[in-house]
Amino acid sequence: MTLIKKHIPLAICFIVGILTLSSYYVPTQASEKYVETMNKWENIVAGFAFLLGLFSLFFSHTRKITRKADGWGYSLFVFVGFLAMVVPAIVSNGKQMVGADLTGLGWGYRFLFNALSGTMFSVLAFYIVSTAYRAFRIKSLQAGVLFAAALVLMLAKVPLGQMIWESLFGWTGGWDIAQIGQWLMDVPAVAGKRGIMMGLAIGGIVTALKIIFGIERQYMGKD
Amino acid sequence: MKNIIEKILKIDRRLIFLALTILLVFPIVRPLGLPNKNIGNEVKALYEKIESLPAGSFIMLSLDYDPATRPELHPQAVAVVKHALRKDLRVMILTLNAGATGLIDEIGERIPKDIAPAKKYGTDYVILPYQPNPVAIMTQMGMDLYQIYDKDRDGAPLREMPVMKGIRNVKDMQLGMCITGTALLDYWVAYTGDKFKMPFAGGTTAVSQIGYAPYLQTGQLKGLIGGMKGAADYELLINAKEKGTAGLDALSLAHIMVIGLIVVANIMMFWLKYL
Amino acid sequence: MLNKRLNLTIFAVLFAASAVCAATPAPVKNVPPVPDLSGFQAKDMPYDKGEAVLLTWPVTPADVPGAVYQVYASAGKDWVKVDEFPAEKKLAADVELPFWAWDRHAALHVVQLELPGFFNDFKIGDEYRFKVKYVNGKTTAESPELPAAPKPNIFNLARLNNLLLLIVTTIVFFWTVSHAKRKGGLFIRRIAGLDAIDEAVGRATEMGRPIFYSTGIGAMSSVPTIASTSILAEVAKKVAEHDTQLKVPHFDPIVMTVSKEIVKQAYAEVNRLDSYRDDINFFVSQDQFSFAASVDGMIHREKPAACFFIGHFMAESLLLAEVGATTGAIQIAGTEQESQLPFFFTSCDYTLIGEELYAAGAYLSKEPMLQSTLKVQDFGKAFVMVSIVAGSALLLAGTWFKMDVLVTVVKHLFKAY
Repeated sequence: MTLIKKHIPLAICFIVGILTLSSYYVPTQASEKYVETMNKWENIVAGFAFLLGLFSLFFSHTRKITRKADGWGYSLFVFVGFLAMVVPAIVSNGKQMVGADLTGLGWGYRFLFNALSGTMFSVLAFYIVSTAYRAFRIKSLQAGVLFAAALVLMLAKVPLGQMIWESLFGWTGGWDIAQIGQWLMDVPAVAGKRGIMMGLAIGGIVTALKIIFGIERQYMGKD
Repeated sequence: MKNIIEKILKIDRRLIFLALTILLVFPIVRPLGLPNKNIGNEVKALYEKIESLPAGSFIMLSLDYDPATRPELHPQAVAVVKHALRKDLRVMILTLNAGATGLIDEIGERIPKDIAPAKKYGTDYVILPYQPNPVAIMTQMGMDLYQIYDKDRDGAPLREMPVMKGIRNVKDMQLGMCITGTALLDYWVAYTGDKFKMPFAGGTTAVSQIGYAPYLQTGQLKGLIGGMKGAADYELLINAKEKGTAGLDALSLAHIMVIGLIVVANIMMFWLKYL
Repeated sequence: MLNKRLNLTIFAVLFAASAVCAATPAPVKNVPPVPDLSGFQAKDMPYDKGEAVLLTWPVTPADVPGAVYQVYASAGKDWVKVDEFPAEKKLAADVELPFWAWDRHAALHVVQLELPGFFNDFKIGDEYRFKVKYVNGKTTAESPELPAAPKPNIFNLARLNNLLLLIVTTIVFFWTVSHAKRKGGLFIRRIAGLDAIDEAVGRATEMGRPIFYSTGIGAMSSVPTIASTSILAEVAKKVAEHDTQLKVPHFDPIVMTVSKEIVKQAYAEVNRLDSYRDDINFFVSQDQFSFAASVDGMIHREKPAACFFIGHFMAESLLLAEVGATTGAIQIAGTEQESQLPFFFTSCDYTLIGEELYAAGAYLSKEPMLQSTLKVQDFGKAFVMVSIVAGSALLLAGTWFKMDVLVTVVKHLFKAY
């Protein structure tokens, strides 16, 4: 049993990992075909995994409805929403437009999905404003520097901000706010971003090595 | 006085939401027409890159955003498509995001209407169907794109189309561009731009824009359009003002409101400390 | 005597006349030089998968503005013009290969030709013929026709620097792992976010409210998601020990499948398999904002005592964290997306930045093997820092003292081909 549950998965992980790594250095057609095959298999696995996820979704919401658990009414909407998009999609054969006319799927996409997705993303704007008001308090020197940088960037990015800066400081003949904002974006922000990127890249390499050589085995459950 | 200050500091979020709503709706009802004077360098770089391409050059445009990020990214896509077709470039539009298909359909609808009525589908531009598994697609595009995309979104054979003449993989293309609100641009740069030496550009949401500055500095990205401001800048450059420019007024007021709120909150905080 | 004198006079006059009347030679016109294309070579392009050939010929004084080279290829019957360029372009120095794989100083014209773009029935190994033609107004020259067959190459020598770095990293990796059990534990600095897990689980147990754990919107192949599942294992163990309720909504079905296994194993390790339920992990949606809306709704209704947002997050990060903050839950977040970190900082109690996420598995499990691999990360970072300092110094010195070779060597060593 240990052979099937532990050794074979580890061996598969190791062999596939080494082969994929080698394909970067070995530029033959065999290498290319291997990568293509892996990509196709990944597609197939993703498709089946999606079905698995769908069954899990339906199962958990059906349980909620049958047991009349708290909020079971919302679970009904999962099925309503699913049917509202899938049935028109099947009827129109996946097409959103037939000529110049919208199909049922196209209508649902344009007037339901578009609107709902846009609404969710726009909620972010409100949350950002309220969070900024609630949490952005200058309690230290670093917070002050952060605020100064944020203020410059916010003013630099919009025409009204640029006009305000010009009217307040334009007479000094100094730097344009857009130039200062560009410098902030190009120098200190990029330096910080680069440092984090390098650290993350190295962490990613080490995590990958841990998985290939079987040291990290969380994904298959420990023995 | 202390009570008042504390009340202001703990003001109900819903009042802030209401104030923001009013500030955002007002310029839509009554546009302010604020001038957009400063164009970002990275937007200019992309514009100049496309301007430098000779007629007949091939651009791959990957529109990987969904309706949520439509206000920021759709104006960018429309502006770039307009510019590319105006320059008589060949344009291939694809997506690796299932939610983008409807938005691409909208662009496809608009091209013969107002974006580029003289251009012919199949000869000047083509739209490919959605495909899952982005990394697989990006890798395959560098080898032989017909292995994944043998037909366009309407089922017509792709290889036989005049627009695809001389194109087998990304190495035959003159520019690639990804407009996305996700991290897909990082993948395009790594798996396609760097690996196959394909010139690449990007369009992102404003919050992600700073993350791509290192790529701009190393030349891995030839240009970048960031958020609605970037879209407005590009519309100004191609002299075709649309939704990007229209949203700038609301953006300006919202920014000023955030600054005002932060300043007020901090003044109240210091005042409270003093009291 | 008179005849002799007369003959002499006539001869002299004729001689003088011929000298006077002789035609002056025409002025010499400037004729463009004709290049010698006998040095033309056609061979397989090195370091590729076998679809390209390499055509080279020496640079000549005839490579002047106005002249062009035309390159022709043939599969057997007709010649196809595959390239045309000004005579002063396409030199060895323009080829983007490092110094250890290519001599950039050779005085050669170089054309790298990808054959599938020109021949529909191209097959690797097939022989093609090539020639190059020089044209400068009426002056032309043609090289001999040479055959070449593209072949796949076993190793891309251009990526040698990358391979050496990988080998060194792997050696260091194995060295640290082999020394893992010898040393008495590795020092890892305190990570507040991870220390707070006990507090969060304890709070949830006292209040009788659930714990929400989100692994983000990344796929299982994404490194932050893998790191998140390591933390999930530890959180699940503590939750199982305290018999608290755990809910793990998922964006990706594969991550859900793996997480189910992880959580079940965690419960088994603390002998609480009786408390384990299969619906602890459940799929929500593979759409970013549908996922956020659904999880927000669950958080808003169920008012968890603790929320964990650890993994790959994008715009939905603030939506999730802000709703969690309004319910009064203790929130621990961590993501590699630095654009989302400010949102987590303002709304969450503890935030893991970047690499702290990757160190979490080792930090929490305290397994010597995992802890030792953190040393490899430190080695990697030390190498990067030394490279930046040394590389910058060398580039500066090379530019200052006009040592082009040094500048080229340093640039090539640190470039990915």
